[in-house]
Amino acid sequence: MLLGPSLALSAVLFVLGVAGVLIRRNAIVVFMCVELMLNAVNLTFIALAQLHGVSGQIMVFFVMTVAAAEAAVGLAIILAIFRHTQSVDLTHINLLRG
Amino acid sequence: MPIDLSSPGGATLALLPELVLTFWALVVLMYVAWHHRDGHDMRTAGGLSIVGYIFAAAATAWLAWRGARPEGLSFMIALDGFRFASDALLLWIAAAVAILSVRWLIRQGILAPEYYPMLMLATVGMMLLAGAADLITLFLGLEVMSISVYVLAGFDRTRRASAEAALKYFLIGAFASGFLLYGIALTYGATGQFNFDLIGAQFAATPPTLMAKLGMGLILVGFAFKIAAVPFHAWAPDVYEGAPTPITAFMASGVKAAAFLALVRVLAEVFPALVDLWRPVIFGLAAITILVGNLTALSQTSMKRMLAYSAIAHAGYLLLAVWAHSDEGTAAVLIYLLAYSVTIVAAFGILASIERAGARTVRLTDLEGLFSVRPFASIGLSICMLSLLGFPGTFGFIGKWYLLSAALRAGQTTLPVIAMVGSAISIGYYLPVVLAMTLKPARTRQAHQTIRFPRPARIAVGICVFAILLLGVWPNTVLNFATQTAVQLRQSELPIGPR
Repeated sequence: MLLGPSLALSAVLFVLGVAGVLIRRNAIVVFMCVELMLNAVNLTFIALAQLHGVSGQIMVFFVMTVAAAEAAVGLAIILAIFRHTQSVDLTHINLLRG
Repeated sequence: MPIDLSSPGGATLALLPELVLTFWALVVLMYVAWHHRDGHDMRTAGGLSIVGYIFAAAATAWLAWRGARPEGLSFMIALDGFRFASDALLLWIAAAVAILSVRWLIRQGILAPEYYPMLMLATVGMMLLAGAADLITLFLGLEVMSISVYVLAGFDRTRRASAEAALKYFLIGAFASGFLLYGIALTYGATGQFNFDLIGAQFAATPPTLMAKLGMGLILVGFAFKIAAVPFHAWAPDVYEGAPTPITAFMASGVKAAAFLALVRVLAEVFPALVDLWRPVIFGLAAITILVGNLTALSQTSMKRMLAYSAIAHAGYLLLAVWAHSDEGTAAVLIYLLAYSVTIVAAFGILASIERAGARTVRLTDLEGLFSVRPFASIGLSICMLSLLGFPGTFGFIGKWYLLSAALRAGQTTLPVIAMVGSAISIGYYLPVVLAMTLKPARTRQAHQTIRFPRPARIAVGICVFAILLLGVWPNTVLNFATQTAVQLRQSELPIGPR
């Protein structure tokens, strides 16, 4: 059901996530955009599971678990940065410069 | 010993090294939950973690000695010589990093023994990544490794540079795994399979669709981020500079090794039918990575940054062997990763001993006159630089020789020429280190008096330097082992056809 539209929607969401990571400068918003990318992929898995059976749906569980673990570590890191700079703006993260 | 990977008992047996290490990481975690007060607890936790690596290595050796192979299809995890050799390589890197960390952490005032369980879990992730026979295992291994290393990069949380390094590594790493995951999804969509062998059989039987090509491209982008190939390298120098020095050694050797081993396996088992599509991509990545890495390294003054750019250049050399897509190439990757990890561990071990507590990173000028005060440390670092350069008589030379000959035998002449040019450029930043230590006088009389080289680190670095020299003149055992191992990667016949 709705395989093409689902895949198209997830591709759009993924591109939105990528654009957000590249454009936005707030660490938390960038992190939310990464989560948007992962959930766009989840939608792809769900859509494709209609064709290929249950394994795609099982993969979604793994992705959600990983995303939760990543959120725990990521928010802790953002908190650690906030303690140093009183800001989560990536333009202030400039101690290390190439 | 055939192991039926579809049964719970068989899967347990096949995963024995990873399970042993995970179990032992939890044991160490339980220990540090009650003992996290002072340096003594730190040392005990470090010692316990090294015991864990030895157990896991013993489990790997037992599986290899019993000749474990999959009965039927290899579900989820591979059982071949390539996986056992990868596990041994990754375990040795992790153990060496743990030894280097023991006194360094105490001296830097980082009294958090959770460091060691984290390092062990990162190693479990690396082993799963390098041994994956299924895209699900690949993704999970990559994430277990990455999430642990995000934490380790920011472990020195009182230093702003470390926190910044962790944030950069985290955002870029999560971004990259998004690409890899989308690639996995599209590959699954094109074939309906997650298993490497089954996907490979599907691609061999039917011409790849647009979805499959896109999936492969996105998977390659995800890997390119992890191995820090240009143009996906911008994070590496910052993260390598900001992270604690032993963790920098871990990222530069272990994480890169795991990603390369997984890349070799994925390209050999999943995408061999699409070789004409991915070879030009690898070609471009290799050429630009070698040139940009070496040229940018020339202008660095911080030693850690310089080694970070040189690590990028070395990823470019390794891509030569990936391009070769042959048994010689696989063997060359194994040999080069061993040579590179031995050298990097020794170099960062010496740099860590020169670092003072809370001070900025070591600069090239800080090394001036080191030879007159600390002759052994400076000779060791000189040997490391020569090995990274690929100087004849060191293990680095043997490794580079095999990379070049693998690419040449596969019919590629442009890339080896570019690699030679890159090596010639790299003289411009490796040699000044040697010259600064030996020819220039020490800046002040007090210079180098703060160097502390604790005995565990001294033994680990000594073994590494000795290995560089010994394997540089007498490499036959390692070469034969790597060649025998590499043959097994492409040997695996598909026992049943695709659905």
